[in-house]
Amino acid sequence: MTAGAQRATLVPDPGSDDGTIPVVAVLAGSETYGFPLSAVREILMPPPLTEVPRSAEHFLGVIAVRGQIITLIDLPTLLKLEVLDRQPLGRVILVDVGDELIGVAVDRVVQVSQLQPNQIEYASAMSADLSEYVIGVARIPSESSSVGDQMVILIDPGALLGGLK
Amino acid sequence: MSDPRDNVQQEFLAEAQELVEALSRDLLLLDEAHQRAERPDSSLINEIFRSVHTLKGIAGMFGYKHVGTIAHALEDLLDDLRLGRTDIGDPLLDVLFDSVERFQRLLALDDPQAPEEAAGVDAYVAAVRSIGTQPPVEEGDPLNQYAIGSAVLSVLTEYEEHRLRACIREGMQLYRLRATFDLTAIDDSIEALRDIVHDDAEIITYLPSLEGGNDESIELIVLLASRVPETELKAHFEGQYGTVEAIEEQKHLPTVPPNLTSIPPGSQSLMSELEDETGQASLRSVANSVRVDIRKLDDLMNVVGELSLVRSAVGRAVAGLDGDPKYRQSLQELDRLGRGFERQLSELRTRILDVRMVPLGQVFSKFARIVRQAAREHDKQVRLVVTGANTEMDKLIVEELADPLMHLVRNAIDHGIESVETRMRLAKPAEGTLALNAYHKGRNVVIEVEDDGGGMNAHKLREKAVSRGLLTAEDGQDLTRQGMLDLVFLPGLSTNSEVTDLSGRGVGMDVVKTNILRMGGVVSIASEQGIGTKITVTLPITLAIIRALIITVGARLFALPISAVREAIPFAPQDVRTIQGRKVITMRGETLPICDLAPLFGLRGARQQASRFVIVCEMGNQELGFVVDELVGQEDVIIKSLGPTLSSVRGFAGASDLGDKKLALVLDAPALFSEYFGGGEDLPSVEARV
Repeated sequence: MTAGAQRATLVPDPGSDDGTIPVVAVLAGSETYGFPLSAVREILMPPPLTEVPRSAEHFLGVIAVRGQIITLIDLPTLLKLEVLDRQPLGRVILVDVGDELIGVAVDRVVQVSQLQPNQIEYASAMSADLSEYVIGVARIPSESSSVGDQMVILIDPGALLGGLK
Repeated sequence: MSDPRDNVQQEFLAEAQELVEALSRDLLLLDEAHQRAERPDSSLINEIFRSVHTLKGIAGMFGYKHVGTIAHALEDLLDDLRLGRTDIGDPLLDVLFDSVERFQRLLALDDPQAPEEAAGVDAYVAAVRSIGTQPPVEEGDPLNQYAIGSAVLSVLTEYEEHRLRACIREGMQLYRLRATFDLTAIDDSIEALRDIVHDDAEIITYLPSLEGGNDESIELIVLLASRVPETELKAHFEGQYGTVEAIEEQKHLPTVPPNLTSIPPGSQSLMSELEDETGQASLRSVANSVRVDIRKLDDLMNVVGELSLVRSAVGRAVAGLDGDPKYRQSLQELDRLGRGFERQLSELRTRILDVRMVPLGQVFSKFARIVRQAAREHDKQVRLVVTGANTEMDKLIVEELADPLMHLVRNAIDHGIESVETRMRLAKPAEGTLALNAYHKGRNVVIEVEDDGGGMNAHKLREKAVSRGLLTAEDGQDLTRQGMLDLVFLPGLSTNSEVTDLSGRGVGMDVVKTNILRMGGVVSIASEQGIGTKITVTLPITLAIIRALIITVGARLFALPISAVREAIPFAPQDVRTIQGRKVITMRGETLPICDLAPLFGLRGARQQASRFVIVCEMGNQELGFVVDELVGQEDVIIKSLGPTLSSVRGFAGASDLGDKKLALVLDAPALFSEYFGGGEDLPSVEARV
């Protein structure tokens, strides 16, 4: 994953023939976020959380995963979003951000979607002022017909590390 | 994640480092022998040659051009030394010692080919070459005076021939040992033979005899030079190995063997002989030990942690069956198995910890070189005495210790041990003694750096502290002698006002103390004027597991390393006074500043009304009481670092799993102290070890 000022792009799964990009879509707060499957190591039931006093607000605390201490972050707070209806911690996804595994707190995991490159709208091409952690957005056709397309905000794991330090 | 090429590179660096360390150790032995005016052991010179030779080989393979160039030049010099073409002396030793430093520096470079290093390397190589070849005085070839037999002489290598001459010059008697060896174990047997004779005799060469032996065994003729009388030698070997026969000196020289100064055709060249030997030696060392990345041990330790969690889950499941008479027998059996499992688990944990342990000798040997160098530069005579070099400690601590100890050693030579003239005037032995002692004491390792130098003037220390404004004159009046000596650890106080090239470069005793504190250790000083100074460093054996006091603040668990804790006393809010806005209590007639952790951490001290405690902690000469809610107990904990994302949060050294995934943050006492007292704001916070 690339980090730094330049925004990353998503790379197709080297194993796929049709150039699709697998993305784990998760619900956190009121929005759906997507992490490249290549960076997601594990999805866990939330272990007991230990708060770290004096840390920034987007750090929920630390958890122990197989003897390793993992920092747990709250995505909506990191993206400076107001969460009105906060759900109890549903799942933790472990994301490889380069130097470190970090835990991202989510309400639930929606699905793993195979994105076609043309489904992705890169942030660099959008006029909206998006956070440095966002690569772009993707539209995923919903499985149920009652709701419309789902907007998935694609997160750049590499940028997370730089931003969190 | 890691590039395999990096791994190979790391392997190379580790091996090169070991070779350089071995070289450094052997050079010291060589130097010692030289200082005692003894002839150096030929096997020692061979060892040194081998280290350099192997280093040259691997440096070439990994593109460490400069290292290779230096090793190559040294190899030639050492070859001359082996063959007696040049003599050992101070210039030669200086050049050799210099190489250790150069190798270490070159190995630390990011670019092994760095062009800017070339000039320095060339100059060094020129210096090596200038030591040159000084042919020894020819005094008539002594070989001719012995009936060794031309068959044997004609197959001697140049080196063997040189050793043979040297042994004869030293007045050793030559023997011919005929012994039969089992073909399958011949290498081992000869190695065993070498071990037996090593102290009394030297094996010059061995070759198969033409008679004797069969399909499974072979008879060898071993040419031996020995100091011990024939009868003793016979007692050693006859019967067990074969027959011993003295080679008589011939007063008249009947036949002159063929020209011996050139290497006879057909004999092994010196180099190929060495290639074989090094090949053998390295194969053997590979068989006995492996290099392991310390992170792999951490992973193993994590697995052990997981296993104990599994164990407690099984325990709970078993407990669910309790009370059912049907299972009584099985439950007893399960209980017994469970306890056995736990024992094995703790054994496993101990063993893994054990693997992290390395002998302190690894750093001590570095000091030997420093001592020699520093003493020479300052024209002092210093004898280094090391005891307990095989005392083992966690590899990470041993590494961290190198710098603080180095400073103590340099201090001792620079400020402690007096010049030869001064010592003579004081009727002290001209040679000063610097002792490095290490030993285990309970769960700790104690390291003492002791010199028999001038000692410290306690009153002068006090004056200096007062004159530098580190201490008020009144406070100074109340100090005990020990209190005055302890001033040496204050930042900004150096015992010697002149800056010398040995110590006093701004890295003072305060830094030594801070570094030791960071490792959870303590340092103390004892000094008598005119007699000497002893600095004692006490450190935990490992940082992987530390003993901690578990406390709660605002219903959250925290761990405080016990090394910092002096005592815990009940907290009485009504006794709190303030001095310039800072809260203090009075304990045994003394004022103790206190710091309530709940507001410091932005936690609500949920149990204001309940009994709370003050944990009195000590760091250097400062005391601070931390106000906490509850004392939970003491526990051995493994500190794990918080990830890089949280490294900027001050006050925590890491976190520990207290079982059942319940985490306690480990308080970083030195960081909290410096935060509270305001000093040393720039000190980096303690890094967790695991």
